[in-house]
Amino acid sequence: MFRTALLRTAVSASRAAARPVARRAFMPVRAAVAPAPRLAAFKSVRMYSAASGLKKEEVEGRIMGILQGFDKVNDPSNIKPTAHFSNDLGLDSLDTVEVVMAIEEEFSIEIPDKDADGIHSVNQAVEYILSQPDAN
Amino acid sequence: MSIVSALKGDLPQQARSLYRQLLRQGEQFQAYNFREYAKRRTRDAFREHTGVQDPREIQSLIQKGLKELQMMKRQTVVSQFYQLDRLVVEGGMSGKQSGGSGNIARQKDTGWD
Repeated sequence: MFRTALLRTAVSASRAAARPVARRAFMPVRAAVAPAPRLAAFKSVRMYSAASGLKKEEVEGRIMGILQGFDKVNDPSNIKPTAHFSNDLGLDSLDTVEVVMAIEEEFSIEIPDKDADGIHSVNQAVEYILSQPDAN
Repeated sequence: MSIVSALKGDLPQQARSLYRQLLRQGEQFQAYNFREYAKRRTRDAFREHTGVQDPREIQSLIQKGLKELQMMKRQTVVSQFYQLDRLVVEGGMSGKQSGGSGNIARQKDTGWD
């Protein structure tokens, strides 16, 4: 896909670049293709760079936001970065599963059973998300 | 993917794993009503039996859950053969599927070839 897009833009760019010098047949077109269209081609191709990564505060905020929207939390004022799901927030194991699934959805990752069973507090969830490179 | 082999560990762990799998599978239903029902039914069924202590009974409930999971896997596949417009309650005001989670993208992939 990238290659076809590149080719397509390169072709159209070279056509555009070739037009002013078109009165001479072949060689000038070649010469025009070399420096200028490369710039034009890259301008119209979307460049993908590495993700900048998530900040700890942002992850914390989003996870606490999820908990705020979860109606089984005993008291919204208990939602702190250090809160334990069952000890502080009064959630049972089934609720914890649901919270972890909501976190998965929020950061569009899939947490395997083994790791999901190890997440019992906001802290642990934040740490897990930060350790996942494809969380966003 | 075998379902039975997916459940390992002690009973609480198995139960959590089953709960997670049922909720995940329920999410796959194409139709909003089925999807919400599957999730609600899963939650209610697990809540209903939170007090069960007898390991044999827990074991049989887990078996029942596994059967339901197998049924749901079949039905979600069938449900994906039938595309429906999104309902207004699902949030998409236009009634078009946008290809987000659990959706099927209907828009043609155009613009690059």
